[in-house]
Amino acid sequence: MLGLATAVPAAALELAELMSQLSQVRGGEARFTEQRQVKGLDAPLVSSGTLSFAAPDRFTRKTLLPRAESMAVEGKIVTLNRNGRSRSLVLDAAPEMEAIVESVRGTLTGNAQSLQQHFKVSVSGTLEQWTLELLPIEPRLQVMLSSVRIAGRRTELRTVEMRMADGDRSLMQIEPLPAGTATAASPAVPDKRP
Amino acid sequence: MSDTPLSPARRATVLLLWLVLMLLGGWVIARGSFSADLSAFLPASPDPRQRVLIEQIQSGVAARTLMLGITGGDDMQRAEASNQLATALRASGLFEQVHNGNTATWQDSGAGEWLFAHRYHLSPAVDARHFTVEGLREAIDDTLSLLGTPAGASIKPLLESDPTGETRRIVEAMLPPDAPRSQHGVWVSRQVPRAVLLAQTRAAGGDLDGQAALLASVRAAFAKLTTQPAFGALQLQLSGSPVFAVDSRAQIEREVKQLAIVGTVLMGGVLLLAFASLPAVVVAFVPVASGVVGGIVAVSLGFGTVHGITLGFGSTLIGEAVDYAIYYLIQARGATVPGTGWLHWRRLSWPTVRLGLLTSVCGFAALVFSGFPGLAQLGVFSLSGLLAAALVTRWVLPALMPDGAAGLGLRRRLGEGAAGALRWLPRARLPLLGLGALSLGLLLWQQGALWRGDLASLSPISRSALALDADLRADLSASDARTLVVVPGLDAQAALRAAELAGARLDALVAQGRLVGYDSPARWLPSLATQQARLASLPDATVLGQRLKEAVAGGPLKAERLQPFVDAVQQARQRPPVDRAALQGSPLAPLVDALLFEAPADPVAGGARWRAMLSLQPGHTPGQPPLEALQLRAALADVPGLQVVDIKQELDGLYQRYLREAVWQALLGALAVVVLLALAMRSTRRLGAVCLPLALAVLLTLGGLMLAQVALGILHLVGLLLVVAVGSNYALFFDQFRTSHPEAPALPPSPEGLESAGSATGIHAGAANADTLASLVLANLTTVLSFGLIGLSHIPALSAIGQVVAPGALLALLLSAAFVPARAGIGNGAGAGASRGMGKSTEPPEPPR
Repeated sequence: MLGLATAVPAAALELAELMSQLSQVRGGEARFTEQRQVKGLDAPLVSSGTLSFAAPDRFTRKTLLPRAESMAVEGKIVTLNRNGRSRSLVLDAAPEMEAIVESVRGTLTGNAQSLQQHFKVSVSGTLEQWTLELLPIEPRLQVMLSSVRIAGRRTELRTVEMRMADGDRSLMQIEPLPAGTATAASPAVPDKRP
Repeated sequence: MSDTPLSPARRATVLLLWLVLMLLGGWVIARGSFSADLSAFLPASPDPRQRVLIEQIQSGVAARTLMLGITGGDDMQRAEASNQLATALRASGLFEQVHNGNTATWQDSGAGEWLFAHRYHLSPAVDARHFTVEGLREAIDDTLSLLGTPAGASIKPLLESDPTGETRRIVEAMLPPDAPRSQHGVWVSRQVPRAVLLAQTRAAGGDLDGQAALLASVRAAFAKLTTQPAFGALQLQLSGSPVFAVDSRAQIEREVKQLAIVGTVLMGGVLLLAFASLPAVVVAFVPVASGVVGGIVAVSLGFGTVHGITLGFGSTLIGEAVDYAIYYLIQARGATVPGTGWLHWRRLSWPTVRLGLLTSVCGFAALVFSGFPGLAQLGVFSLSGLLAAALVTRWVLPALMPDGAAGLGLRRRLGEGAAGALRWLPRARLPLLGLGALSLGLLLWQQGALWRGDLASLSPISRSALALDADLRADLSASDARTLVVVPGLDAQAALRAAELAGARLDALVAQGRLVGYDSPARWLPSLATQQARLASLPDATVLGQRLKEAVAGGPLKAERLQPFVDAVQQARQRPPVDRAALQGSPLAPLVDALLFEAPADPVAGGARWRAMLSLQPGHTPGQPPLEALQLRAALADVPGLQVVDIKQELDGLYQRYLREAVWQALLGALAVVVLLALAMRSTRRLGAVCLPLALAVLLTLGGLMLAQVALGILHLVGLLLVVAVGSNYALFFDQFRTSHPEAPALPPSPEGLESAGSATGIHAGAANADTLASLVLANLTTVLSFGLIGLSHIPALSAIGQVVAPGALLALLLSAAFVPARAGIGNGAGAGASRGMGKSTEPPEPPR
């Protein structure tokens, strides 16, 4: 009996369970390295930078190498900074972009509803080592994106892998920064376990 | 002047002449044109900024923009219906452009290919530096940073021919920062389940018949859609200037007709009760009809077109013009020789009616000189309408009914009731004065907040229609409260160059985060100078090939793959710059034509006939202060002839100017009335006695409106002028009681004198006065009824007038009854005997013969 009780949550992680854990995180910062495989290019494209997230809806991706650019989302407004030019967009005016932003932001905020609005969501693994598989619902998004696979440990996202419809793919490795992890994630996990 | 009846020949001549004039009037009216847009309420001599606004309102894109909403069903059905409706509308050929957010149709239209082919002419990034090794490397890196992301799917096909991303830059500009929400590939509302579309009509904004036909065809196209089972639950919403203009016209036509019919029936009923004679009722309408015809003809001849509101105003004239007939029909009675009653009326009452008419004319003459055609129309209409009604009363009614109306009806009771009220009313003088003082105090205290009406209050558009319009505008991010920047040019190229100069200044503000963005015709059609400079900066194949090799060295993209790019640049160098003519027929033409157009010569900018319009998207990034109008003007100060127009502010300013002018005109009109009365009466006391109740009526009406929290506007002011015009008749008639008729010499001052004066002329003066009293009450009843009816109208302009005149006219009668006789009595030394005497003088009238 005892063995069974401890084994159950570890064996079959429910989406609701994972989302509830993720929603406890109020913010965080991380370093990322992204590798993109593009057909027709001689070498993979590599970039790196930082990610930051603050509840409820702020998410920033700052690329530092090979060239500085950034994308900041707050609420429904996304601001792109490229080539020293800033450009703002309302996310819902470009639903495909909204879905892609939500795949990451919805996971960070533990917003299952937002994820399920755009994707068919399946979860596998344990809370210690989980994987979210997101398949676009909208045909308009399907022609661009085949799937998003997000893997993580407890409340930390560790990789985001996007497979494009044309076979290209990108893999982002995420390394939480100590400051961010300390302030946001660690205390919630043990306390909330039943 | 002998007391002989009119000869039958003379009567026939008069009637024939009248008939001919009426038919002529009918002919003029039938040939005239009617308008219902706001342009009649725009100033005739605008300042430069107002001119921009007026051009836009009368002929600009705003006047041709239709907003459509599809509600009901589910979101997929709405999206599909949006696409099908857009296709049907495009196919109809009635629209310059139809947008529903579907970018595929944009591609299908060939616009994408056109933009791609002209990317080196149009891309703002193209300059000499862009094609150096460094510039090429930056631009290619920029493109590469998007590959391998979901956005890469649209970029990859162009990688080899456009590695520097010019097409992307051009297309990005088409998704403005405040773009509408998109769902299933079409625009939808952010607030409610609704698909939204935007269309620009080919028909000009002022072409109401064209717009009406177009709206009908849109509705028909949608009705055809809903015959498909999937779309059965869908509904269409339409808004925008064309809808307002067409609906307003229809509504005004409908309501004016309804008001005329209901008003006529109601008046007819009252008159029938009062006269108990059908011929009398018919005759009573003769001056009314003549007045309306006269008013419309005068406006039609003077202005070329009659505004719907002026027409609606026509029905208000029933209330005043019928008074003349009532006075005549009652006061022409009691003649000893049949057929000479009208002479009695002419002696006793016509001078009073004439004076009342002249005061009304003075009041409305002030409006005739208004700088706003709409207000001038109201003035001309009222003036000529009243004049025609009075003239017809004076000349035609004696020919029709020389002895007035024969029947008595309920007038005896009316006279008795009025006499009873008259005994009591002077006692209420103190409380009435107190109320007047209170109103004056309230007026002075509220002063600033009193006139809260705006330009919209002149238009008959309902609140719900305005709310739908605001909702659709918000959905489409097509705010009408935008700031427009307009630059003039002697030709299209000069205007485009000026637009580019202004654009450069605006770019700086956008970069500072002080402005979200702007739209400019130069974005789709740069000036020839700019295009030539861009083309000149394109290197030849050899140079470009070498630089390219260097730029991509060590990168993931081989220079050999980019040969299509080198070829495309060489082709672009051969392609001539694009001008307006070259653009015609392309999908971009309507975009440019909306923002670059010919207009009447601008006298300020050296007779420039071309305008480029830049529409600003206000907003600022957090941390940056909002952009003030002054700062915007300062930033654009060095662009010659440029005008910054804040639409909302200009419209408000326009209305304020309009209101100020109307207040001055009303005051001048009131002054003219007082001067006229002073000249006619030559007695300060009598003048005071006549003016006091009028002033009090205006004050109490204003006080009541203030208490009812009514936002007062220009038409309330016009209503007050009407109160003075109608009320002066009452006051003058009460004044006439004191002085009987001007021909009677040395009128005895006591109330009993009325009877002796009457016997002096062989007519029972007491009865005459009771009849006058009854005619006043009856005239007042019809006025209050007809204006009360108009007060219930759904057309704000009409209801405003009705709400002022109905209570105002009633007050004017009561106050005249309360103040004029007693005052005059005091003035003539009769003192406390006044009320007693009045009661005595209104003995039951003589029985009908």
